[in-house]
Order: sequence, then C-alpha cells, then structure tokens
Amino acid sequence: MLGYIGRAVISLVDVQFDYPHGGFSLDVAQLTVPSGTRAAAIGPSGSGKTTLLNLISGIERPGSGEVTTTGVRVDRLSSAARRSFRITTIGFVFQEFLLLEYLDALDNILYPYRLHPELHLDASVRSRAQRLASDLGLAKLLDRHPSELSQGERQRVAIARALVTAPKLILADEPTGNLDPATKKQALDLLFEQCDARSTTLLMVTHDHGLLEQFAQVVDLEALGTAEV
Amino acid sequence: MRDSIYLAWRYLRHHRAKTLLLVLSLSLFLGLPLVMRAMSHATQQSLVSRAESTPLLLGKKGSSLDLVVEALYFHLKDVEPISGADVDAMQATGLALGIPIRTGLSARNFPLVGTSLDYFPFRGLRIAAGRELAIMGECVLGAEAAETLGLGPGDALLTSPSTLFDLAGVYPLKLHVIGVLERSYGPDDEAVFVDLKTAWVGEGLGHGHQDVARAGPDVVLKRQGGTVTANAKLVQYNEVTESNLDSFHFHGDRSTYPVTAVIVVPHDEKAGVLLRGRFIDAPTRQLLRPAQVVDSLNKQIFRFERVLQIVVWTVGLATALMFVLVMVLSWRLRAEELRTMTRLGCSRWKAAQIMGAEIAIMVGASIALAAILGIVMAQYGETWIQNLILRGS
Repeated sequence: MLGYIGRAVISLVDVQFDYPHGGFSLDVAQLTVPSGTRAAAIGPSGSGKTTLLNLISGIERPGSGEVTTTGVRVDRLSSAARRSFRITTIGFVFQEFLLLEYLDALDNILYPYRLHPELHLDASVRSRAQRLASDLGLAKLLDRHPSELSQGERQRVAIARALVTAPKLILADEPTGNLDPATKKQALDLLFEQCDARSTTLLMVTHDHGLLEQFAQVVDLEALGTAEV
Repeated sequence: MRDSIYLAWRYLRHHRAKTLLLVLSLSLFLGLPLVMRAMSHATQQSLVSRAESTPLLLGKKGSSLDLVVEALYFHLKDVEPISGADVDAMQATGLALGIPIRTGLSARNFPLVGTSLDYFPFRGLRIAAGRELAIMGECVLGAEAAETLGLGPGDALLTSPSTLFDLAGVYPLKLHVIGVLERSYGPDDEAVFVDLKTAWVGEGLGHGHQDVARAGPDVVLKRQGGTVTANAKLVQYNEVTESNLDSFHFHGDRSTYPVTAVIVVPHDEKAGVLLRGRFIDAPTRQLLRPAQVVDSLNKQIFRFERVLQIVVWTVGLATALMFVLVMVLSWRLRAEELRTMTRLGCSRWKAAQIMGAEIAIMVGASIALAAILGIVMAQYGETWIQNLILRGS
C-alpha cells in the first residue's frame, strides 16, 4: 500500500468508451487520482459517473486509451483476470447496498470470500470481519438478515463488505443516496475514517455538492477534467 | 466448491417453503415408479401366492375368474352354487381332499365363510386366541376382522340380513366368537369362518325352534298323526346354545344344499391329472387351476401397468419442466444478485457453480427421499398394500 502513496492509484489516458447498443459515449483525456486520496466524481445523470467506475474496475473495457488501476493496466487484462483483479483489489459500495437477504450480516460482510478462489476465508479473515463490524457499530447485529436492519445499518454492512478484503481502492456509487441526512453523515464519517485508517483510496460518485469539501479531489464528468478543491 | 455449497445451502434454507415444495415434487416424480412397482408386485404376489397354493377349484360352469375371486378372495360375485353332493362326490373319488367353501352372507361387512375344519391346516392358519370351531353356531375371526370389530373369544357377532327390507327373510344368527386367527396377510384375515352347517343355518336352510310336541295348544294349529303344524307363536332360536343345540335341524336333502365351490387338494399329481380329465367335458361343472386364471389376470394387470407407466413418465416430464421453469424464474428474480456477483468479481463459472449447487442439493435431497421411500416400500410396502387391498375389497 505504501508504494502507492503519492503515486496514481487511478490513471486514465485518452480513454474512449461507447456502449455497443446505446448512444452514450465517454471520453476522458486525462484523469489521475493519487494514492490515499478521497476523490468525488460529480456530474448530472447520464454524464457517465457509473461508467467511469466500471472502466476503472474493469467491469467495462474502453474502446481505446489506457486505464491503469493500482498500477495494473486493466484494459489489457482478460475477462477472468479483470474479475480476479477486481475482487482482490477493489471494494465496492452501492447506493442500493445490494446485500443478500438470505445471508446474515456477517455472511454478507464475508461474501467476497465466497465468490473467488483467490480469497481464502480463514480464521484471520473472520476475526478481521468481526473487528471491522465492531468498528462500524455492527457487533451485535451480525446474526441479523438485511430485512431486520435499518437503512443506516445496511449501509454499514455494505461498507464493511467493501473493506473486508483490505482493498487498495474503494469505489462508492452514491453510497448515501438512500439515507436520511443524519444517517448519511454517520455512514460517510465511518467510511472516511476506515479509508483513512487503512490509507485506502476512495472514489465516490455523488450528487450531493454539499459533501464536496470533504474530498481532496473532485472529478467533474461534465467538464471532462479534474479540479483540485 | 465448499463456498458454493454453503451459499446454495443458505439460499435454500432461507427459502425453505419453496425448496421443500420442489424437493417433494421431485421426490414424488422419482419415487412414484418405485411405489407403483411395489404396488404392482405386491398385488400380483398377493393374488399369485393364494392362487398357487390352491391346486384345483371345483365350481359351477361360468366365469372362472368370478369363481376364483369369490372362493379364494371372498369378494362376493354372486357365483351360482354347486351342491353338497359335489363335495361328497369329490371325497368319494378317493383322489383328493375336498374342502367346501360357502360364501354369500356377511357379518358386519366381513364375509362369512362356511367351510370344514380341513380349511385351516390347508391354508396354514393358526389360532392366535381361543380355539377351533367345534359345534354349530360358533365362529372364528380373521385377525383383521377381529381387530376392526374389536371382538375376541367370548364375544358374539350377528350375521347381517341379506336384504334389510325382506320381512319374510332370514333372521340374523347370533354367532359365538370362539377363536381369532393369527394374521396371514391375506383374505383370510378379513373373513368370519363358520362350519358349513352354520352357514346353511345362517341362510335359513336349517333352523332351531321350541319343541312343538311339548308346545301348548295356543301354539299348535293342527295335529295329524305324527305331524304337528304350529302357528307364528312358536319360538324360533336365533342363537345356538347348549340347551337348544339339539333342536336345530335341516329340512330336505342336505346333498342339495348350496356350496359356492370346493377346493380340491389331489393326493398326488396323477390324481390331479385324472380329476381334471374327468371334468373336461362336464356340462355344468368346471374344475380349474386358480393359478392359471390369476396368471391371465396378471397379464391384464401388466398391460394396465404399462399404461400407468406412460402416465407416470408424462407426469414426471411435466414435473421436470415445472422444476426448470421455477428455477429459471427464480434466477430471473435474482438477476440483481447475479449482477452484484459479477460486479464484485465473481466469475460466470462460479455463479453457475452456486446455482448448480442449489440444483444438486435439491436433486440430491429428492433422490435421498425417493430412495428412503423405495426402501420403506420394499420393506413394508407389500404388507401395507396387501392390507390396502384387503380394506379396499
């Protein structure tokens, strides 16, 4: 992790992307997010914020250009390698939380470990998950299923799931969009606190411009450029 | 793989009602052919073993199947009777033992079977409680009849009137239960056995009444020589007791009294062949081999079973299609979950493995359930089905 401090964790150069069946396209001449940075991606709906996250994580491949994430040329990786890279290197937090109702909170946190053979679920991982849950105020809720949790608690479970693999990068797609103001602040504080504690880079898509002062970098998709705040 | 199985198990456990429904449907689909085979086997065994243990059967010429079904399985078919003379004639040949069977009456819905004492050792029937038949008016109950009626030695049982509204008909006869047979898992379990004379008394061919010679003038209509004509005041007995046993008598020639059939047990193979030869051209009698009759019946059952098999496979196909449909719809409903898996970095193979594990667990549980059903059917099915056949008869 230390090797990336001060270096670019995310780097896009002359990226051009088109959806095969849609009219949407995204062009990024240059985007760099240094390691350990808290960055926000803003822009109106349809400006390509989620697509940007998909390109950075390798869910989508650009038509041309270079996408380098944590020093890896993601655009050059095979589909299997990109999946493997994604689950071991990146943590995701979604607006809809996307927790699984049939798993309790602890199993939801450990879910990535059930999905890929490169992640091994052992006692140390379990203990890390417990610690993380405790840090996020979930210690007494681990046996509950998502429907038994409040919105804020669910989002905290989702944050724990994103952090449990100790990723180098967290990509958060409007993670507070479904939360009330008080819960939103609490969830963001926890997310920032955990990222800072682990020197994890955070790129968060948001519509809430009131939050921007908490980010070191703002990526404005509409302007197709970057601005330092 | 362990993780896939874990996730699949958690999913199935969470949706236990849906899982249970699918597993039960599949189990039925897989287990039904086993149950059917066991049923068919048990039915055939039940029919065959009884028929094979009965060497020959003598009866009135007509439907051989009806004769076998009535005389061996006591399913009342209104078979035309032969007579007591046929029993005597068979004994007189010196070639075989003739065991008379008289059916037609019932007692509280269980068939009343009049026979001789030879019937019990011939069928290998043993007394579980009480004793054998000894005098007129006694009965021995099959195990099922005794259990259902809650009767045992010392109790009494009335024969059922053949026609409820026949006021001039035969009065019910009160039978004394003196024994209960051991369970034999055959038609004998449901029978009420009496001796032949008791069966005839039950039919009204013999009766007992107050001694008319000692009856008062209010009972006697006319005395002419040794003949006394009594009126309706004469007391008729509906129960054979020690004190009135001697008053029971038969009018007419007993050799003309009806017998449904005679079980013929030849002394040896040659005797059997000789007897069959004698009845080949008999105009009003038939001497048949029950095993042959049942064999032809079994061929019909086998044909029916094949039709049933086609039906079962069609139902099975429909069940399998329904299962596939439920799974496809379930996966469609879980599209968001699959998308999340992909976004997190799960491979398509892993996702397929998780879904496959769900199917494997359900199919495995269904096979296990069907196998248990098969084992249970193999172990106890024959007995249950024989009981079912008996109760359904």
